[in-house]
Amino acid sequence: MLSIGDRFPDFKQKAVVSLEKGKEFEDVSSADHPGKWKVVFFWPKDFTFICPTEIAAFGRHNRDFEERDARVLGVSTDNEYVHLAWRKSHPDLKDLPFPMLSDLKRELTGALGIVHPTEGVAMRATFIVDPEGIIRFVSVTDLDVGRNVDEVLRVLDALQTDELCPCNWQKGDKTLEAA
Amino acid sequence: MSAVDLLAAELVEPARDIKLNLQSVLTAACSLTPEQRWGTAVAAAVASRNVRLQVAVVADARKEIGPAVVDDAVAAAAVMAMNNVYYRFRHHIGKPSYEDRPARLRMNRLVKPAGSKVNFELFSLAASAVLGCDWCMRAHERVVVEGGVTEEQVHDAIRIAATIQGAAVALEVA
Repeated sequence: MLSIGDRFPDFKQKAVVSLEKGKEFEDVSSADHPGKWKVVFFWPKDFTFICPTEIAAFGRHNRDFEERDARVLGVSTDNEYVHLAWRKSHPDLKDLPFPMLSDLKRELTGALGIVHPTEGVAMRATFIVDPEGIIRFVSVTDLDVGRNVDEVLRVLDALQTDELCPCNWQKGDKTLEAA
Repeated sequence: MSAVDLLAAELVEPARDIKLNLQSVLTAACSLTPEQRWGTAVAAAVASRNVRLQVAVVADARKEIGPAVVDDAVAAAAVMAMNNVYYRFRHHIGKPSYEDRPARLRMNRLVKPAGSKVNFELFSLAASAVLGCDWCMRAHERVVVEGGVTEEQVHDAIRIAATIQGAAVALEVA
């Protein structure tokens, strides 16, 4: 499984982005939104019990992520029509503000090493990827354990919070390099 | 008449020096580029917390420089209002136990300003001068000078910051 410091694999996948007729699907790729952070989270199967709760929680916090220059992407190995059907049928998923990606061929889950060994679906994994494409945070839980979006936000905040101000200099410190 | 001129006309007679200084630092020839001059004025006006002065300075600045630089100046003043308090505490107390703790405060705009990085530092210096943090002033002065800003330019920027703060106080005279 890929971990901290590894490059998040390139991907390009079909995604459900809307319930509006004719605008349901878009390709979403790792090259979209250069300069932004990514929060990529995976769930095992559409239409299961734990998933909509945490997907909706990511949805409710989407604005918090956007304010931190981070783009949320949700992924499972279901195909895009299943995603669409699930979004249409579940009230908590109707207004989802971020794309639901379909990793039908398990290219991304495979490259990340998060295909469940017996179930063959994505493990419940969350990755925070920095603007350079480097994995900065990983969490994986067993298939039945939900996750805490507040914790993901807290970690993102911590990762983005450096003491960047010259006010922080002590006597004799070298000049900070401008980023 | 500019927005700042209109406001300066309201200054009471005992504050006439401030009124004349205001006109001179904002309009007379000086060593600063328009972005440096007006960005510094905006940062100082925001730091001064006089809303009417801030509105007038921003209105005049928008005629002289792009909106991104105005935003940078506002950001510099806002972040310095936070950092001056935080780092001034650390500097004054001087205990390693505080200095070793991460601040856990966002200040990301400092490294990704919309405009020039060195100008952003100059605006931060002006705001720190208004808000009064010795160590922050020293640190930002060092960065801007190392970044190629001359001491004459720094001096002109501080003259702007000082005058803006004077005007902010004089405008509060009842």
